[in-house]
Amino acid sequence: MHNVTKKWLFLKASSVALIPLMIWFILGLISIFDKDYIDVVRFFSNQPSKFLVSLLLVFAYFFSALSISEVFEDYIQDKKIKNAANKALYIFAIIMPLITIIIIFNLNA
Amino acid sequence: MDNNNPLSPHIQIYRWHISSLVSISHRITGIINIVAITVVCFWIASLLLGETSYEFTKIFLNSIFGKFIILGLTWSFSFQILSEIRHLIMDLGYGFELKTTKITGLIVIIGSFVLTVLIYLLGKQII
Repeated sequence: MHNVTKKWLFLKASSVALIPLMIWFILGLISIFDKDYIDVVRFFSNQPSKFLVSLLLVFAYFFSALSISEVFEDYIQDKKIKNAANKALYIFAIIMPLITIIIIFNLNA
Repeated sequence: MDNNNPLSPHIQIYRWHISSLVSISHRITGIINIVAITVVCFWIASLLLGETSYEFTKIFLNSIFGKFIILGLTWSFSFQILSEIRHLIMDLGYGFELKTTKITGLIVIIGSFVLTVLIYLLGKQII
């Protein structure tokens, strides 16, 4: 299987996973955004939110990294700049969810 | 080997259609959503600072501007969800006829506003 085919399949699989996760997340966000500190901490530190937010972060950053790299492919011709932009993108897409998931698992209500 | 593929033409050279509007909006909302999720990451990190530090965030989120941002994000996520479903249906080989692309494009645009209201009311447990 070609790399671009694998990339496309990963992109589609992650988008399928993201649809229910985004619906759940936005419903959760609306229910807590104006609440007190303790309610917000409770939301992020209790199950199933803890697990679902972690899953959302992993899929969202994975999907975004793949999608944005396609935009780089469309609009950046210089190979060196494109490679540097892709590396920066992938590092960001790993570090952001990783740190946030560690924080979520250390939150105590 | 050098990649000599031509770059995509920039969007201003095309005549606007519903399909192109949905396509560019899909990319823009995708960027807005990942920026929003990054802000949520910082919001979660700020919870470690404790209740006193959270007061400013709470005041902001309870302001008119804060509520407008949340409503805007709800629309952005709603648009992305419907547009992604449209993409997946097209990936299965359906909906490529010109008339169908116009209809599904309109469904995404109008449906995103309907879904925004529905999600907001459900989230606030009004319905």
